Amino acid sequence: MKDTVLFDEDYKWIFFGRDPDKPEKIIDTNQYLIKDGNRCILLDPGGIETFSAMLASVTRHVRLDDITDLFASHQDPDIISSLGLWDKALPHTRLHAPWLWEGFIRHFGCNNIEYVGIPDEGSELVLNKTKLVFIPAHYLHASGNYHVYDPKAKILMSGDVGAALEPAESNMFVEDFKAHTEKMTLFHQRWMPSNEAKNDWVARARELDIDMMAPQHGRIFKGDDVKRFLDWFEALDVGIAIKPHEQDKAA
Amino acid sequence: MAKTINPSKRLFFVSAATVAGNLVSVMDIAREISLAAKNAKAIAERAGEKANGFRPITDYINEMGYETGSRVNAINTAALEVSRIAVNELRASDVYQKLIAAKEYIGKDVPESIEKLIQEASERHAEHTAELENEKAKLINSLEEISIQMRAAAVIATCSRVEATQAEEFQSSLEVVAVNVEAASQKIKMIVNDCDDLLANR
Repeated sequence: MKDTVLFDEDYKWIFFGRDPDKPEKIIDTNQYLIKDGNRCILLDPGGIETFSAMLASVTRHVRLDDITDLFASHQDPDIISSLGLWDKALPHTRLHAPWLWEGFIRHFGCNNIEYVGIPDEGSELVLNKTKLVFIPAHYLHASGNYHVYDPKAKILMSGDVGAALEPAESNMFVEDFKAHTEKMTLFHQRWMPSNEAKNDWVARARELDIDMMAPQHGRIFKGDDVKRFLDWFEALDVGIAIKPHEQDKAA
Repeated sequence: MAKTINPSKRLFFVSAATVAGNLVSVMDIAREISLAAKNAKAIAERAGEKANGFRPITDYINEMGYETGSRVNAINTAALEVSRIAVNELRASDVYQKLIAAKEYIGKDVPESIEKLIQEASERHAEHTAELENEKAKLINSLEEISIQMRAAAVIATCSRVEATQAEEFQSSLEVVAVNVEAASQKIKMIVNDCDDLLANR
């Protein structure tokens, strides 16, 4: 699994992904580690099938005892089905995840880790020098869903928003935004159910100072591509799976 | 705040993954050895006849750096695979235990289908356990090979020091090479020892 440092000042943001050895039929995922001395957090630590590669990659950067927190943006298996194994490997950590999904996520195995439910309005987490804001992103795509914003690093970890389905060997950063939209369109139209939720999120995201938008699949957006993404997403009609039925009714 | 976990209580899949992570730094050190060998070769070329005894050693150091790197790369992959096998073993064990719990829940008149599932789960668990033990033993042997190579590196460093004394004004430059090789081999030995401890759950 590849790793790349995205931010390196008082603390670090490290990207993990593009695993060439992952089983062929599972979706490629991006994982993020914030390394802040003896308080480190893993964001969307991934599925059970990529657990070993992820664990080995993480140990290159931090002592396992220093991982004190985990974050799950929502309940999907590619996000957090590894929980049962982290629960054995890191029994004294805390998992920050949507309050709404607690009873569901616990099905992955959460006997030792403390589940900290994030309230609907979001919350904050301070590590040592890192302050993180868990920003509501409900219905994008899960009914209880959060992104992670770091005002100092100006990084928004945006979960499935900005995701693209691409081969594991693709580049890490968006280079040609227009060409990249082809890889994002269907994903966002189908996985994101609500135009209202989407536009509410876009309006709130525009108020943030973002240098880098880091989704859980596909490439990371930098600089002006973040604004390009917000414009593109705002204009996109989502929730397409039910649209043919609506047209039938109208006819 | 998280409490400190006693490493001896860690599960084997964690130890194997940690070994894989640790070995990445050995690859970096092996690259340093190769770089030291290239520098030494350049110095030996400049020194001409004064470094006649040192020149063949540089080839050996270079080869050793390259071999260590490729060997550790292979061990790193093997360690990751061992971690995956250990995860599978753990999952197989969980399946077996949950089936046993289901059997206890049923109480009397356990259906034959459940007994069959338990039997199969037990066999699968045994297969994973045997595979894990086998791969673990191979991994420990591979680490031992690196240790042997590092003992050879220490000898080479000593020889390099002796040969450097013949190189007159180039002596100090060549001695630096010997010191670097010795330091690198010590670092690798320490990491390999740590990996051994992790695998032995010491």
